[in-house]
Amino acid sequence: MKNKKLLIINTIICLALLTIAMPVLSACGPQEHTGQTLKVGIMTPTTGPAAEKGVPLRDANMDCIQYINDELGGVNGYKIEAINLDSQYKADQAVANIKKFTDDGCLFFTTSSSTEMGYVQEIANREGFPGLVAYSSPSNYHPPQHVYGQMPDYGDDWTAFTQYYLNNIWKGTGKPKMALMLLNNPTGAGAKNAARALADQLGVEIIATLEHASTTLSEMDALTQIKTLNPDVIYISSTPKPAAIIIKNAVDLGMYPKVTIGVCHAAMTKALVDLGGADVVNGVYGVFPTIVSWDENVPGVAKMSEYATKLHPKDVNNGDYVAAWAQSLVIAEILKKALDAVGYDVLAKGDKAAWEAIEKYGFQGLDGYDVGGLQSPVKYAAGDNRLGKSLRINQVKDGKITAITGWVEAPLIKYETFDWFGK
Amino acid sequence: MDQFGQYIITGLSVGMVYALIALGFVLIWKSSSVANLALGQIVLLSSWFTYSMLVQVNLPSYIALPIVVIFAVCLGWIIERFALRPLIAQPILSLIAVTLGIGYFIEGIITFIWPWSVDALPRLFPRDVVHIGTAVISQQYLWVIGICLVIFVLLTLFFRYHKMGVAMRATADDQMAVQACGIPVTRVFSTSWMLACVVAAIGGVLISSIGGITHGLVDTGLKAFSVVILGGLDSFVGALIAGPIIGLAESLGGGYLTPYMWGGVRDIIPFIIIIIVMVIKPYGLFGEKRIERI
Amino acid sequence: MSLPCGIRNYNYAQDMAIFRTKTHWTLLVCFLIVVFTVPLYFSNYWLGVLNLIGTTIIAALGLNILVGYCGQLSIGHAGFIAVGAYTSAILTNRFEMPFLVGIISAGIVAGLVGIIFGLPSVRVKGFYLAITTIAAQYIIIWVINHWDLTGGFQGISVPYASIGGLVFDNDLKQFYLIMFFVVLAVFFAKNLSRTKVGRAFIAIRDNDLAAEVMGVNTLYYKLLAFFIGCFFAGIAGSLMAHTTYTLNAEQFSFTDSILYIGMIIIGGLGTTLGPILGVTFIRILQQLLIVTIVPWLGNTFTSLPAGFASGLAPMIFGLVIVLFLILEPRGLAHRWALFKAAYRLWPFSY
Repeated sequence: MKNKKLLIINTIICLALLTIAMPVLSACGPQEHTGQTLKVGIMTPTTGPAAEKGVPLRDANMDCIQYINDELGGVNGYKIEAINLDSQYKADQAVANIKKFTDDGCLFFTTSSSTEMGYVQEIANREGFPGLVAYSSPSNYHPPQHVYGQMPDYGDDWTAFTQYYLNNIWKGTGKPKMALMLLNNPTGAGAKNAARALADQLGVEIIATLEHASTTLSEMDALTQIKTLNPDVIYISSTPKPAAIIIKNAVDLGMYPKVTIGVCHAAMTKALVDLGGADVVNGVYGVFPTIVSWDENVPGVAKMSEYATKLHPKDVNNGDYVAAWAQSLVIAEILKKALDAVGYDVLAKGDKAAWEAIEKYGFQGLDGYDVGGLQSPVKYAAGDNRLGKSLRINQVKDGKITAITGWVEAPLIKYETFDWFGK
Repeated sequence: MDQFGQYIITGLSVGMVYALIALGFVLIWKSSSVANLALGQIVLLSSWFTYSMLVQVNLPSYIALPIVVIFAVCLGWIIERFALRPLIAQPILSLIAVTLGIGYFIEGIITFIWPWSVDALPRLFPRDVVHIGTAVISQQYLWVIGICLVIFVLLTLFFRYHKMGVAMRATADDQMAVQACGIPVTRVFSTSWMLACVVAAIGGVLISSIGGITHGLVDTGLKAFSVVILGGLDSFVGALIAGPIIGLAESLGGGYLTPYMWGGVRDIIPFIIIIIVMVIKPYGLFGEKRIERI
Repeated sequence: MSLPCGIRNYNYAQDMAIFRTKTHWTLLVCFLIVVFTVPLYFSNYWLGVLNLIGTTIIAALGLNILVGYCGQLSIGHAGFIAVGAYTSAILTNRFEMPFLVGIISAGIVAGLVGIIFGLPSVRVKGFYLAITTIAAQYIIIWVINHWDLTGGFQGISVPYASIGGLVFDNDLKQFYLIMFFVVLAVFFAKNLSRTKVGRAFIAIRDNDLAAEVMGVNTLYYKLLAFFIGCFFAGIAGSLMAHTTYTLNAEQFSFTDSILYIGMIIIGGLGTTLGPILGVTFIRILQQLLIVTIVPWLGNTFTSLPAGFASGLAPMIFGLVIVLFLILEPRGLAHRWALFKAAYRLWPFSY
């Protein structure tokens, strides 16, 4: 009966393995919280296609948290423990990251870009895990649920620029003709949706909506098409490299500087000046939701410059660094408001009740925190998940991006009321 | 009507950029039957190295550019020696997969050394445009066209008349027979990879002076595949002619079809052309038909 | 397969059996018990990783049938997964159909799209076919990005999967759903190689001209291979859609297609165990690198240059693929077979 004996031995071995393995495998279970810290999950695209923005964003997030912990003693005495994970700008990694955040007891999470938030927003919304996105797009929080935007989105960029153009630059009668050059992703879609919602109301005529890929080498054909329609203004909602190519092509075709060109905040950075050449992009308008130069005289710049020079000197004068530094300041303010309202014990559990408290008293409790002047003040209004609502219009002058207006508020557009806005 | 002229000029010039990358691909295929899917990353690495020589080390361009060529030669030798030589005579899937792995690895190296992955080369060509009739073309594109033609002529002559060039063609055909004739196959592979990397480096310098150095160079490499397929995988003439054809198709298709279809038609045209070519004429316009025997 | 001493096969059924001895059956049952009970103790993050591994295994099995068994090189698999995912999402979101209808239709629609893009396989092969599948991937993604029905660039949200009244709304329930499909897929793929269809595939892979001469209808079987491979991809896509609740074309990029090819090569082509091992290995390597090793390096060695940690992941990845191909071109499955043989024969090496 050798077979039976073998069978019994095998069964015993398997059961023994199972019982031994259980405690080992439970180490993969949810971890305990240690120490008195406030945990926040920070997701940045430090490798992959968006690494050029992801690295300064990560640097600034972590530098500012270090500043808050070291010099300010944390928030109300509790240190912030920031868990930074790289999303690689990919969906499956972003989804895995957000699960890690919830497992580790984070109170809320932040992402840098609208795309990353787009990957995880359904999961966050269905679980009630609040999130803050730096560079947002209307689809992230329309209809408004648990995702909040730190700064105005790409749709607000378009609205603010168009309003400025109509009030200050357009000198003719009737409606100016605008052509939209859009990147083929939510950056471009944000501007397209805003234009679709508000163009008639503001008084512009959209004569062409053309899209391009971020890998384009030449937009001559698109611009040639537009040239025959005689536009007065071109709005580019894209990243610096394609925007630089479009502007260069427009100069080659003789369209610029006759036509006004405005770009969204993704493109209004030093990279645009470098890639295009200072003489080519001179006079281009653009919006930006934070300060554009580290020489500006606002209170928040001093500490930011100090830490950047000390820890990441290559990031000095980088625009994304400002946005993420501001994000960490907003993180601290949210934690402070929630701590003041419900105390540490509720938040320490890191569970659904903690998330609700953070959202109700932290996010929705913000009322005009000025973020050191680095960006528009953050304030929550019911039905509007944009925490920062104002932008500034800037212009490239002599190779430097300079602000030409103060903080202008962009109006709320309720995209969810339009039936063409996808679900 | 001037639109039409502008579309033609733009299409031809962008197409020549694709042809330049395609030449590098065809070179490796013609000499070792390996599909080099890491070509985009090699182009990107060479562009970054050029940037580093010109901007970080601040050499003048007449010293920096020869150094870039030497770098490309070394890169080709390293890739061939360490990644491809162990895989001689393996099935084609392994070779393709190894080039994919090399591509990933090079991307990692690029992030490692230049973590801020976007930048611009200093201006190598003057900015003024040249007018052809009512159409305009920037001087960078004229340089691209010129250098592409020069490389094409040199490569064709090399493969037709030079001893090493003929040996390369023989190796692509039948490695065992070549070894039986006493030609060192390993040296042939090394030379072909070194040459291909030099062509890729030159292409990289030209393309990044047009659009800056970003990760998107890798995707431009993919568009070059459509050129390679249309022209035939083992034909330089094919690459040179198919490049402008694809560029023209993109430009004209994008210009005239966009109002009638969904936006962004231009990006998909090269891939539709691939499918059409596959169904009608699988070996491309100038490729050699493979005859198989059981 | 290699059997212990003393076991003889007396008929065809015994010869072809996958689980021949009682030991095999016992181990199988114990393994299934372990797989279905241990994750009860896992955290959300690891369950999420297991779910991802599960769906990737289904897709990789499909690709293995196409590439490993039938020899049709396809580097556009992510596109077919996208077709399945979007079909299921559209049917459950826009047309309010039940989940089971959605997942089966996802498989069928993906299979049909696979047949359409697989038509060139009857004229070309090798690298040419690979380029065609790359083109297929880009065309599919472009259509998804521009069609209103699929939500354009914004993407589409996907409701929870639900069968009868049971709603799969957390990671644990989704784990059981996915594991069920994984077991089915592995069973199907393993048995495929024992049937007439499987043998036809292998004949085509080894030499399709000879197969045609012998009477194997290559047109039919090549298209069937595309259908089956893409059917698996469609099922995997549908499961992916219902576990991430939102779909965007950027989730199905060309890099992912390359990743699938890498996974099945590292695992071992032409075996059923290969994709499972390859997928598990690569996914766990990815998670370890990004979540554990890179932050650890960043914290302990803060004076490293900025790009070190972030460049490390792709570098190690590429290096692993290259080293595997140089040192063990037949993949992890072959290593496992050698290990089993060594275990069985030790200390006698004949």
